[in-house]
Amino acid sequence: MSSTSTSTATYTRTQTAVFLTDVVMGTIADILADLRIDVTALYRDWKQDEAAIAAWIGEASLEQVVLECHQPSGTVSPILEFPVAYRGGGAADAKFTADRAALARYRAKLDRVPPGTAFRLLCTYRKTPSPQPGWEAASRAATSGLRLLRFGTLASAPDATVSLRYLRSERSI
Amino acid sequence: MQRHRQICAAPRRAASETWSVITTLVVETLEHSPAIAAIDVTGVMEVAATAGRMLIAGGHLDRHPLVVAAAPVDLSIVTVSGTEALTTDENLAPVPGGASATGWMLYLPAPDPLADVVRSIVAGSAHLNIGQPPVGATAKTAAMTEAPGLVDLAALARRKADR
Repeated sequence: MSSTSTSTATYTRTQTAVFLTDVVMGTIADILADLRIDVTALYRDWKQDEAAIAAWIGEASLEQVVLECHQPSGTVSPILEFPVAYRGGGAADAKFTADRAALARYRAKLDRVPPGTAFRLLCTYRKTPSPQPGWEAASRAATSGLRLLRFGTLASAPDATVSLRYLRSERSI
Repeated sequence: MQRHRQICAAPRRAASETWSVITTLVVETLEHSPAIAAIDVTGVMEVAATAGRMLIAGGHLDRHPLVVAAAPVDLSIVTVSGTEALTTDENLAPVPGGASATGWMLYLPAPDPLADVVRSIVAGSAHLNIGQPPVGATAKTAAMTEAPGLVDLAALARRKADR
């Protein structure tokens, strides 16, 4: 019986990873499109990024996905963080939900960025992650001077949730 | 005849895998046509994949269908995401009628905020478009494909010449 339990738990964790990864990737695509930032690199690397993020959520090593917007002036703003919170033992009800309607309303509040702004995806970890193709060590842009706004929970799954935090420069507030 | 199919997305499948399932459904529906090469359909679906994955992951394809117009095939495909994706029954069998198709077009939804992105991806492909097929276009093509003897083209030409 224990092997059945283990199998079920692993299956649910995989589903959690797939679901939260999809919501994060879809949200990033929507945000970049909304900000009119070139998404060529996003869809070029989609499969490898999708697989990496899902693997890291599945092994519970991922702390957060970070989307940095690099403006031509050198300013890095806004920055969007997608922190993952893991539940021990999973939730009693196996529900997979995403608050896409609230996200659509929230997107309207994002600061516009100048033409030529590029994006960068990074991940931070809570423990050593498994190596994934196309990903290598990198440093985050400084966040000092940026103001943090919380969107709240973006998506919820039995084994984890993902939230959205928005950092933007004080000048645009 | 209009057909509708629901394809389960996350958490059952990642967006990339979901698009692969949609691609297989479209290819297997159209490959029986002597006028349509499976390799060509696969190639177009690969181009469309760049938009398709974003539409799926963003939940847009849950609400806005993509349409395969290949008379007599009129196939509308949506995805199902979230808890429902784990319990929804799928029909992944090819849609009947593909063998009679003489041409085809894939219409992708272009919802806000991905409209410009989708538009740029479909540009340049003779088999990709955005939005919905023009009303009646599929039926007209179907009539000509299925019953070529019903229209006397020579008589039609004479009538035009008489005007």
